[in-house]
Amino acid sequence: MRNALKIAKWEIQKNIKNKTFIIGIIVTPAIFLLFSFIGSLVKPDEENTLVYVNDQVGAYEALKETAKTQHESWKLEKTDVSKEEAAKLAEKNDDAVYLFLDQQSVEQGNVPYYAGADAEDEFAEQSQILSGPLKAVQLKQAGLTDQELAAVAKPIQFEKAQTLSKEENAEKADDFLKKFVPGIVGGIVFLSILFNGMQIFQSASSEKKEKIAEIILSSITPSQLMQGKIIGYFVLGMIQAFVYLAAAIGIAIWKLDPEVLSYVFVPQTLLFVFIAILGYFLFAALYVGLGATVEDMSSTNNMQGLVMMLPFLAFPLIGPIFSDPEGMVAQVGSYVPFTAPAVLIMRLAVLEVWPWAQIAISLAILAVSIVFLMYAAGKIFRIGIMMYGKNATPKEIIKWLRA
Amino acid sequence: MLETLLSVKGLNKWFKDKHALKDISFDVKRGEIMAILGPNGAGKSTTIRNIMEIIQPDSGEIEFTGHQGIPRDKIGYLPEERGLYKNVRVMDMLLFLADLKNYPLKQARERALAYLEKFGLGGKENMKLEEFSKGMSQKVQFIASILHEPELLILDEPFSGLDPVSQDQFKEEIYSLAQNGTAILVSSHQMNVIEQICSRLFMIQNGQKVIYGTLDDVKTQYANFKCTIRGENLEQAGLENLPLVVRTEYKEGMAILSLGTETEPAKWLRQLPETLEIHELSIDRISLHEIFIDIATERNLIREAGEVYA
Repeated sequence: MRNALKIAKWEIQKNIKNKTFIIGIIVTPAIFLLFSFIGSLVKPDEENTLVYVNDQVGAYEALKETAKTQHESWKLEKTDVSKEEAAKLAEKNDDAVYLFLDQQSVEQGNVPYYAGADAEDEFAEQSQILSGPLKAVQLKQAGLTDQELAAVAKPIQFEKAQTLSKEENAEKADDFLKKFVPGIVGGIVFLSILFNGMQIFQSASSEKKEKIAEIILSSITPSQLMQGKIIGYFVLGMIQAFVYLAAAIGIAIWKLDPEVLSYVFVPQTLLFVFIAILGYFLFAALYVGLGATVEDMSSTNNMQGLVMMLPFLAFPLIGPIFSDPEGMVAQVGSYVPFTAPAVLIMRLAVLEVWPWAQIAISLAILAVSIVFLMYAAGKIFRIGIMMYGKNATPKEIIKWLRA
Repeated sequence: MLETLLSVKGLNKWFKDKHALKDISFDVKRGEIMAILGPNGAGKSTTIRNIMEIIQPDSGEIEFTGHQGIPRDKIGYLPEERGLYKNVRVMDMLLFLADLKNYPLKQARERALAYLEKFGLGGKENMKLEEFSKGMSQKVQFIASILHEPELLILDEPFSGLDPVSQDQFKEEIYSLAQNGTAILVSSHQMNVIEQICSRLFMIQNGQKVIYGTLDDVKTQYANFKCTIRGENLEQAGLENLPLVVRTEYKEGMAILSLGTETEPAKWLRQLPETLEIHELSIDRISLHEIFIDIATERNLIREAGEVYA
């Protein structure tokens, strides 16, 4: 075991220093983050409008406060310009608005302004925002006490009460997210360790191509080498999964629901991750055995090509499973070892009630398949890794398995 | 008397119907360089792989003095088919292989630096192996096999692909390791090199022992004298009728006379016909190279010389 761990450590170190791994681990979440950012960047950027206020009634501070809270892109400034000057300035400054507050405008409730071309439409639409502080001035002048003022100033709000079914729906949506989040966690873990697991193929194959197998096997046994590779790429996959999850959870909290983190740490997540890990070991055994038979990727035979594709068998099932997670396709998929991990993760993520009996049978089939495949991979690996110069033929592989 | 470190006894190995190793037995002693020789496909690498437990023999025993089983961390191994990870730094590669042999890393690093320096690769420890030439990589592979101070060093064709300068470097290093007590088992085709460094040899053909003994023994026992004469009308001189001549070969104005085991060169030379026109004459022992060629081409000069061997 100590030797296997040395190999695992070596594979981890070798890959972690490798640009491809680093780029892979950073770029994918970075792309997601980038798109989220682009989303927020693409939102039309409102240009600042400079609102110059010629204030004769002492309402400037209140206006500034209102603008600050309700319309950030308005920058208020005091000014002494006359209406004539303002009329001229507004023509020159497209983003400027000149507002004239005097006794007359307060009494009549009519505030004259001059606006530049760009600011004109927007100010016309939004100017009501500034009516509050002016109304307050009006009311104060009309002799209302502060208490009366407060009562008048407080807007009347209409509170929408939920009907019964809507309340349920809201809870359901909440439930759905709760159910779906562990599934997504399982899916991310599965995909990252699976894709790293596929590197085992490359790693075993390069051992042959670079003719180092015999040097390494002079120190350790083939099964230690194989175990080391499986453990090493598992850890690499988990590192990647961790980074992806951290990024995904971060984005989810930011964009969807701040509560997401509490949906992640639930017992269901453990089952999803367990299924993902079982799936990893199944495909890792497959790839490590296969890698030991292939030296040159460009001349793999049909059998090797088919084995390579096995993990993707579950992809065409995505549609049928999500449309009917209890259907025939979903159930059969749960019992076929090569589709079981992905199918289980998809089904359990959407199913209301988990079919425990089916889960148990499916996991048992997976476990037995893993034991069998590991044994077979060990036999193939032992001989295949030492065969330099050519890819193994199906006939040879069968012979090794029988040996 | 040198202490036996590795003992191979009655090794047999079949590949399908082919009896690849037939009852192979030999010892390797501390401080000696033991050569295992033979043509391609004779069974040298198969023997070595059996010792390294990379393949299992069908019968026979391999004993490593003072240990049960084969202590692989006490053995350094340079296989014939060898390579290193290309996209890895030299030092990382060396330390990884030393670590697999359970050798302390700090010491491994110091030794690695010293050896890189010694082999003219000083300051290149952080370079990646893909930047190295074939010869440079071979030096790194050689360093990897001796870094952990093995008690037994097994080198399968260590000189193949090396330029003469590197070949000499390897030769000197192998020699000095043996001087310091390392038992060395080396297989090679370069007979001239082997002749210079090995103390004992084991020659194998078709999976079978042909010769086993010290270099001197082998030479006295099997490699008889041969007389090479360059001159005129040699073919008409009746050289084949001279005493002790077991075989005569004429080529390009030369006669090569293989002589029997009892030949005493000084006496024998006196019997050359006085009329013989000699331009050049040399008398020497048949070299290991010739024995090897004979065995490889199955001409069996030795047998013609009247020797019976196992």
